[in-house]
Amino acid sequence: MERSRDDFVIAIRSAFLRKGNQQRFSILSLILFSIIFLILGSFNFKIINYTKIIIRDIIYTSSFIATIPENFIKKSYNSITGHYEHYDEYKKIKSELEKLRTKDLSKQILTFENIQLKKVIDDYFIKSNETFAKVLIDKRSPFLRSIVLNKGSKNGIKIGMIVLDDSYLIGKVVEVNYLTSRVLLVSDINSKVPVSIEPIGIQAIMSGTGKQNGILQYIDVETIENINEDLLVVTSGAGSIFNSGIPIGKINKDVDLNNGQIFINFYKDFTQLKYVKVSSNKKIGVDQSIKKEFELNNKQIATINSQKKSFEILRQQKSIVDAVRVIIEKENSELKIKLNELNLQLSQLEDNKKNNQAEQEEIKFLRLNLLYAHKCRKTIINQLHKVGTPKYKACILNKGKK
Amino acid sequence: MMHAKSGIKLFLYKYTPIILLFTSILNEIDFNNLGLKYFSFNFSYILIFYYSLRRTESLGYTYIFIAGLFNDVMVGVPMGTSSLSYLLLCAATGYLRNITLRPNIIKDWIFFLLTISFLNFISFIVLMLIFEYEVSYFDQIINITFTFLLYLVFSYLFNFYDNFLLGKINVR
Repeated sequence: MERSRDDFVIAIRSAFLRKGNQQRFSILSLILFSIIFLILGSFNFKIINYTKIIIRDIIYTSSFIATIPENFIKKSYNSITGHYEHYDEYKKIKSELEKLRTKDLSKQILTFENIQLKKVIDDYFIKSNETFAKVLIDKRSPFLRSIVLNKGSKNGIKIGMIVLDDSYLIGKVVEVNYLTSRVLLVSDINSKVPVSIEPIGIQAIMSGTGKQNGILQYIDVETIENINEDLLVVTSGAGSIFNSGIPIGKINKDVDLNNGQIFINFYKDFTQLKYVKVSSNKKIGVDQSIKKEFELNNKQIATINSQKKSFEILRQQKSIVDAVRVIIEKENSELKIKLNELNLQLSQLEDNKKNNQAEQEEIKFLRLNLLYAHKCRKTIINQLHKVGTPKYKACILNKGKK
Repeated sequence: MMHAKSGIKLFLYKYTPIILLFTSILNEIDFNNLGLKYFSFNFSYILIFYYSLRRTESLGYTYIFIAGLFNDVMVGVPMGTSSLSYLLLCAATGYLRNITLRPNIIKDWIFFLLTISFLNFISFIVLMLIFEYEVSYFDQIINITFTFLLYLVFSYLFNFYDNFLLGKINVR
């Protein structure tokens, strides 16, 4: 028993402490180095960080050199297979292009509207700074789905910047060296992205699965089960890490609602990334000139609104006036008719009056004629007036006086 | 001419393990992640275990330490994690060599399983408890299983390769 324990101790000691031929360090000392590396790595010291950055840059560069033959073979294979697929792809792209052209205009309008609405709601703009980078290494590991880019702090890359392929989200920068940087892909198990499911607008958290898809967390399957169309997953913008509205993937309900889990099919194949866009988004407040412009716009809107109200009142007034005018016109026409009738009556009365006067004069003449005819009538013996002449009549009316 | 050829063979015999180790680490093709759902294995573990056990001088501990650092940087885990695993693997082979009088491939195989299980346990503790990484247990179990199963295959392949080179050298 004692002997076997001694043998064990000797074997262990020999394994850890014995140096082989041409070995400078024992295993124990190198294990201690490893532990020191691990411990120092967990602290955020400037010197350690610089050392790490230098080591990483060296390793990434040497890895890029080491993968040149492999990449050459890959590239050759892809170009050969790509050549055969070229024509089919061309036809497919052509038809897609036609579709996209028709969609482009409506998209532009929507984008413009979106910007306008954001201005109104958030009272800030998002200023983006974009850098294009080449994927240096795409080494998939069981612990981390990540890629290494050929741009680092020298090119203004910072931790937390978002990485896009076309306009699709693929990850964010998690490590920055002087010449290189590492991007944690959204497919990584450690990646958590606040997302919104469109068009229903439900919020959730998307986590990577370590495979070529993502999974939605903190969401009930029943909430989307009864919706028939395909659901799009875009960033919600919660937490201010990612902008809102960056497309990530879609939920194909026929396939993805398995065992109460909601899987997301990414738009992009993360194994085929070549060039990516690193983008930083900065929220900036509205500056004075824009504020003034807003105020001016608001005033104009207020003026237009008040003018609109006045116009409405005037329109109502006009309609009332029109109604009154119609009534007055009607009344007027009625009065005119009445007036005409009255005029007619008046003229009749005047005629009657004239007739009466004439009759009265005639009666008066006849009555006086009976009395004074002898004084005015011409006879053989006198030189008076002939009957029926005006002078005769005037003589009668003057009662025979000249 | 023959002398030059033997020189190349000798160089290959001596440096193949270290070239293989660094190539497997620096290349984009990672057997730990072939993109298959139920298949992955750790080639570095097999290589280090086999050559540390059979030919201690072929893989220097310093090289293994550096290879571990390279792997950590490439994979994106805290620096020192893989180095620690690789060196513990070397220590395990050293112990096995010390206690073994008559080498047996099956015993080596079983010991390899125990060792890689222990190493993955250590990696888990370092990554999950200290650095708060999220690791898929299922993937790790698959990785361990296939690493264990493929050890036999690769040990025969390495043995065949060494015998092929050694045979030629001995002929000289």
